[in-house]
Amino acid sequence: MCYGDDACFVARHRTADVLGVADGVGGWRDYGVDPSQFSGTLMRTCERLVKEGRFVPSNPVGILTAGYCELLQNKVPLLGSSTACIVVLDRSSHRLHTANLGDSGFLVVRGGEVVHRSDEQQHYFNTPFQLSIAPPEAEGVVLSDSPEAADSTSFDVQLGDIILTATDGLFDNMPDYMILQELKKLKNSNYESIQQTARSIAEQAHELAYDPTYMSPFAQFACDNGLNVRGGKPDDITVLLSIVAEYTD
Amino acid sequence: MGWEILWSEAPSKVNGPQARQFTPCIKQINFPTNLIRLEVNSSLLDYYTELDAVVLHGVKERPVLSLKTSMIDMNDIDEDEDEEKFACGMDALNKQFSIVTLREWPTNGYFDKLPYELIQLILSHLTVPDLCRLAQTCKLLYQHCCDPLQYIHLSLQPYWARINDTSLEHLQSRCTLIQWLNLSWTGNRGAISVSGFSRFLKVCGSELVRLELSCGHFLNETCLEVITEMCPNLQELNLSSCDKIPPQAFNHIAKVGSLKRLILYRTKVEQTALLSILNFCSELQHLSLGSCVMIEDYDLIASMMGAKCKKLRSLDLWRCKNITESGIAELASGCQLLEELDLGWCPTLQSSTGCFTNLARKLPNLQKLFLTANRSVCDTDIEELAANCTHLRQLDILGTRMVSPASLRKLLESCKDLSLLDVSFCSQIDNRVVLELNANFPNVFIKKSFTQ
Repeated sequence: MCYGDDACFVARHRTADVLGVADGVGGWRDYGVDPSQFSGTLMRTCERLVKEGRFVPSNPVGILTAGYCELLQNKVPLLGSSTACIVVLDRSSHRLHTANLGDSGFLVVRGGEVVHRSDEQQHYFNTPFQLSIAPPEAEGVVLSDSPEAADSTSFDVQLGDIILTATDGLFDNMPDYMILQELKKLKNSNYESIQQTARSIAEQAHELAYDPTYMSPFAQFACDNGLNVRGGKPDDITVLLSIVAEYTD
Repeated sequence: MGWEILWSEAPSKVNGPQARQFTPCIKQINFPTNLIRLEVNSSLLDYYTELDAVVLHGVKERPVLSLKTSMIDMNDIDEDEDEEKFACGMDALNKQFSIVTLREWPTNGYFDKLPYELIQLILSHLTVPDLCRLAQTCKLLYQHCCDPLQYIHLSLQPYWARINDTSLEHLQSRCTLIQWLNLSWTGNRGAISVSGFSRFLKVCGSELVRLELSCGHFLNETCLEVITEMCPNLQELNLSSCDKIPPQAFNHIAKVGSLKRLILYRTKVEQTALLSILNFCSELQHLSLGSCVMIEDYDLIASMMGAKCKKLRSLDLWRCKNITESGIAELASGCQLLEELDLGWCPTLQSSTGCFTNLARKLPNLQKLFLTANRSVCDTDIEELAANCTHLRQLDILGTRMVSPASLRKLLESCKDLSLLDVSFCSQIDNRVVLELNANFPNVFIKKSFTQ
């Protein structure tokens, strides 16, 4: 079951490559609001800001803040909410700068091991931190986190580092060791190989999502929270796979 | 020497409203320039239109210029040698002032028979450049053209690209009685210096009633000080987009107690300076604080206005990002004469607090009300406006989802003077509704942006 509420972008400006994912909160559907509007518009806005150079590579939270502010300035009254994860590779400093709000996230894999990982931000079970715009009548009742609440990290990266950015559709269905197994199969940094690997990861997660007996990370977490559940979690799955390589134009 | 036209055409109506890209084939020119001007002819538009972006495509290599062509730059405008090409006699005046030799004739012919006042009346129809040219023809007309009576109302805005310190110096002796002066857009890029401006005002400020300085990026604190000291009779001051005036400098304006109209749109005026102005300028009738981002607490400002500016008739609070219902309450109670109020893009105003209802009930003289992009405007607010503000001429409720066709109908029935209603991006008001309302209320322009 695909809801179509995820959105993502990849953009480049001068010395920085920027990736972003956003997971639209599905609950809005019950109130007649299309959840993909918010996440899609947010990602498109962030992409535009990056392409126009209106950002600082070491401040990915700034991209989120500016993007969110633009959404608020939209003449069309946009409604909805989403998580957001922005990853910036600064080619000149060889550093990765990240901002994560909610339960999307990223992994950095080096030599077959996870060396950096984002943390999930949840208010309570299945309720991630989220940027939102609520209808006036519901203001105060709807969860609305500030972009400043995003976790941000910065660290050095090396040639060959694999950066995987994804929405919770992946992480809720596939534990890290399975993801690492798939990544081991990545032979080189050709676009096609990376494309292939990303696809196979997403497909595998998709399969697991519909396995009713599988003890998915989501099910495990649910049990930890006192909910007796089993199986995968059907959800939109977005996987952005990137590798730090030599720069070619 | 003037402007080189790269492209020009009369406007034509487009088939149906649509966003589009416009790429004219521009003329090749043989001189480098650092100034391009776009003039937009809006005469065929139903409503305002927006330029989203202007993209200049070019090549990296500078074209090789032939040795014969001269480089013309903004800074070279006054040094033009070729008298034949004068588009504006002002330059001629600047250059020739000291060397003009006026020919002597025994009489002035028929001009000697005309009363002085009549010649003055005829000359009053000429533009400033023409007056300058005419001044060079003979002694009699020179005397007439330099008569301060021709310079009571002076707008130098159309000649913004040419006005500099020298121009002001030459105009000084003629502007001693000046009452209205428009220097909007002038003086930037170093054309007018602080001392040049100050000198001019020292000579010409005493009778000044109205001073327009919109987009005067050269204006600093000294200039503001000079204005407030040299213009004791000032009633109207426009400092729109004068972004180099430092925040504290606005304190000087409080000295001008006779001010009736003050435009501080897009300036850096800060809280205490503004409070001071409001405290001392109790004659204020028209005030614009649109996009004044340095003001910290608009509720306090509104409270001061309600207490001190009882004569306020129009108020622009566009993008005043933190005004709340308490500020609105004080404003509505104190400024009962308000006719025009712009509260566009003030997201901290929530209809549920009753602030708009309060406005409607307390301000029966409202003619123009802008609630642009306030998502909380609802049917109740429209109904209250219909009931209480029957003189309404313009209403903007862009971007609300909470207003239905029914309440709009009530408004249109009640407010017979309504001529402009903006319902762009109102989700309950679709094109069909607009057509129906247009049919039933043909005197009202109902605007709905097509970019949805």
